[in-house]
Amino acid sequence: MTHWRRIWTVATFEFLQAVKRPGYLIATFGMPLFLAAYAGIIALPAYFAMRADRVPAIHGVVDAAGVLHLTRDERSAGQPLPEEVKKMMEASGQRGVFDDADFGAEFVFRPFASEAEARAALTSQAIKGYFVVLADYLSQGVVEVYTLDSIDLTRGESRSAFAMLLRQRLLDSRLDPKLSARVVDPLRETRRFSITKTGALTDGGNTAGILRIAVPVLFTVLFLMSVLMTSGFLMQGTAIEKENKVVEVLLASVNPDEILSGKLLGLGGAGLLQIVVWLALLAAGGLGIVPLILESQVEMPWLALALAIPLFLMAYLFFGSLMLGTGSLGSNMREAQQLAMVWSLTAAMPLMMMAALLREPHGVVSRIMTFLPFSAAPLIIFRASTDLSFLAWWEVSGAVLLLVASTWVALRLGARLFRIGLLSASRPKLREVIRQARL
Amino acid sequence: MVILAYENVIKSYGSTLALRGVSFDVRAGEIFGLLGPNGAGKSTLIRILMDIIRPDSGEVRVFGEVRRRDHLDRMGYLPEERGLYTKLTVIDVMVYFGALKGLSRVEARRRAHVWLERVELPEVASWKIDRLSKGMSQKVQIAAILLSDPELCVLDEPTTGLDPVNVRLVQSLLLERRHNGRTTILSTHQMNQVETLCDRVALIDQGRLMVYGEVDEVRRRYSHPDVIVHSPAALPRVSSVATIASGGDGVWRVSPAENASYSQVLSDLVGAGAQITRYEPILAPMEEIFLRVVQERVA
Repeated sequence: MTHWRRIWTVATFEFLQAVKRPGYLIATFGMPLFLAAYAGIIALPAYFAMRADRVPAIHGVVDAAGVLHLTRDERSAGQPLPEEVKKMMEASGQRGVFDDADFGAEFVFRPFASEAEARAALTSQAIKGYFVVLADYLSQGVVEVYTLDSIDLTRGESRSAFAMLLRQRLLDSRLDPKLSARVVDPLRETRRFSITKTGALTDGGNTAGILRIAVPVLFTVLFLMSVLMTSGFLMQGTAIEKENKVVEVLLASVNPDEILSGKLLGLGGAGLLQIVVWLALLAAGGLGIVPLILESQVEMPWLALALAIPLFLMAYLFFGSLMLGTGSLGSNMREAQQLAMVWSLTAAMPLMMMAALLREPHGVVSRIMTFLPFSAAPLIIFRASTDLSFLAWWEVSGAVLLLVASTWVALRLGARLFRIGLLSASRPKLREVIRQARL
Repeated sequence: MVILAYENVIKSYGSTLALRGVSFDVRAGEIFGLLGPNGAGKSTLIRILMDIIRPDSGEVRVFGEVRRRDHLDRMGYLPEERGLYTKLTVIDVMVYFGALKGLSRVEARRRAHVWLERVELPEVASWKIDRLSKGMSQKVQIAAILLSDPELCVLDEPTTGLDPVNVRLVQSLLLERRHNGRTTILSTHQMNQVETLCDRVALIDQGRLMVYGEVDEVRRRYSHPDVIVHSPAALPRVSSVATIASGGDGVWRVSPAENASYSQVLSDLVGAGAQITRYEPILAPMEEIFLRVVQERVA
C-alpha cells in the first residue's frame, strides 16, 4: 500500500465521519438560516426607522432677523447619494434604486410669525422643534433652538439642514447664483484618480478602494474562519484516537505523518466544504451585485485573486499541521483546544493589525509581515490588492517560497509532536517535546 | 523458516533501559508465546516491531528483510490497551481497519461480514460500538485485526475478559491460523493458554531474554527430575534409580540417581524386567517456570 493511498484512506474516513455528524449538518445548513433570521431581526427596526424618516420632520422657524424670507413651508432634502455610486448603478441599469430611495432624513421648515405660536405648535407636537433667528443675528450669529424635552437622534441633522438653508438664503441676494451654489456646496461632485509607482493612472474612486481592501479583508476573514472552524474538527480528530484507545492499532498500519496528513485533508476538507456551502448561499443571496461590479469598470486585483487559492491552502496546511501537532499533546479535547489556541490567535494577527496596515500598505511593518510564515499569505494578498506596482516580484516569490518551506517544516514538526502526543497518555513534559522535535 | 528476528535490540526511555540487547526469532506458521512480568519490555518489543517506536540499536527483520514500513500491511496488531471508535458503527470501523491494511473498501466490507459471522456476532454490523458489551467489543476487535488475514499477527492478551466459551472460540481461531501457515505472537499472562496453544516461547524480564525455546523443551528444562511410570507390577530396584514411591493403581514415582538420565532409568528398568505401559517426565508448568525465573531475578 502506497504512502498516498494510506493518506487517502485516512482522509476519506475522517471526511466521511465528520460530514455525517448531526452537529456538522446542523452547523453547515442551519447557520445560514440562523444568520438570515438574525439579519431579519436586526433589519426590522432599521426598516421601521427608515419609513419614519420618509415622513418629513417639520421644524418651525421664527425669523426675527428677516434673513430667510420664508412665506411657506420650505423642504430640505437629506444626504444625496454620492455621484460615483449613482453612475455605477445607472450603468448597471439600477437607476430606479436611487430614484425611489431616500438617503437620510428630510426636513420641512415652517415659518411662524412669533415664538409664542411656534411654542404652541411644539407643545401640541405639530412640529418637532423650532429655530429662532434673533433680530441681531447678522451681527451676533446667534440662533436659538427649541425642542421637546425628549431624545431625538435627528437633532444634529435638522441643525445641519437649517444651517444649509440659512447659508443659501444669506447668499441668494448678495452673490451670483452660480457662485452662491458653489459656496453652499463646493464639492458637489468629485472625480478621483490614483497614480501608481510607475506613473500609471488607475481608478481612484471609492468603489475601487473598497474592492482593493475588500479582497484581502475577505481573504483574511475567510481564512481565519476556516482555521477557527476546522480547528474544532482537527482537535476532535486528535483527541478521538486517544479517548477511544485506537492509537496503537492505527500506528501499526499508518505512520504519524500519514495520519496527520490524512486528518488535515479529511477534516480540513470537511471544514472547507462548510465554508464553501456558506459562501455559495451568500453568493446566491447577493447575485445582484455581480452586474454592479462588472459594470463599474474598476480594476480588479487579479493577481491577488489568482494567488488567493494556493496561498489559502498553503497557509491552511501551515496552521493546520501546527494545530494538530500541538493539540495532540493534550490528553483530552479541552487541553488540546487550549494548547492550539496560540495558533488561532497568531492566524488572527493580520486582521487585528489591518487598521495599521491600511495606513501604509507597503510600509516596513507590511514588508516584514510579508516574510513571516504566519502572516505571509494575507499580506501578499493585501499588498497585491492595494497597489501591485509597489510589490516586487522577488517579494512575492520569496514569501511564497518561505511559506512553502515553513509549511513543510510545520508538517514535519506537527507529525513529530503528533507522534509524541499520540503515544503519551498524559501531557508530555516540555523537555521531552523539545527533544523529540529536534530529532 | 524464520519470519521475524530481533537482533540485539536495545531501547531506553531516558535513563531507564527497557531492552538490553534482546535477540530471538519467530518461525513462520507457529504460535509464539511472548511472556514476561509487567514492565518487562514486551510492549516495547512489540512497538518496535510495529514501527511505533524506534530501537536505539539493533535490528528487526521480518519476512526475511530488514523491517520496512510497508511490511506493516502484512502484519496485524491487537494491543493490550485497545478500543474502537465508540460513535461509529461496527461495520464502518472494520472496513476502515481493513482499508488501512490495503484492502479495497468493498473487499473489506465483505470480509467484515464474514468475520462477524465467525465470531458469532453477525447481528451487530450496524450497531454503534458503544452499544456492544465488553466481550462483544473484544471479539469485534479481534475480528477487525484478523480480517486482513495478516501473515504475522501480534495479539496482546486477546482473551482477557472473555467467558470460557469465547476463550475457546478465540483459541480455535488461533489454531486455525496456525493450520493455515499464519504466524501469531501471543503475549499473555495466562500460562495454561501458553501450554495449550504455543509452539515456542520467549520470556523477557527487565529487558533481558531469560527463557527461549520450544514449550515442551522449556518445560523439561525446568521440570522436576522425577518421572511417573505406569506399571501393573512393582518396579525392580536398579542402580540408576534412587527411590521408588507408589502412587497407587499401578502408578509409580521414580527419582533417578544423581547423574542418571531419563533414558538410562527407562533402559535399566526394562532390562530388569519391569512391564512399563507409560513413562512420562514430570514437566514443570509454565506458571511455575515464570515464577521461578522472576523470583530468581528478584532474589
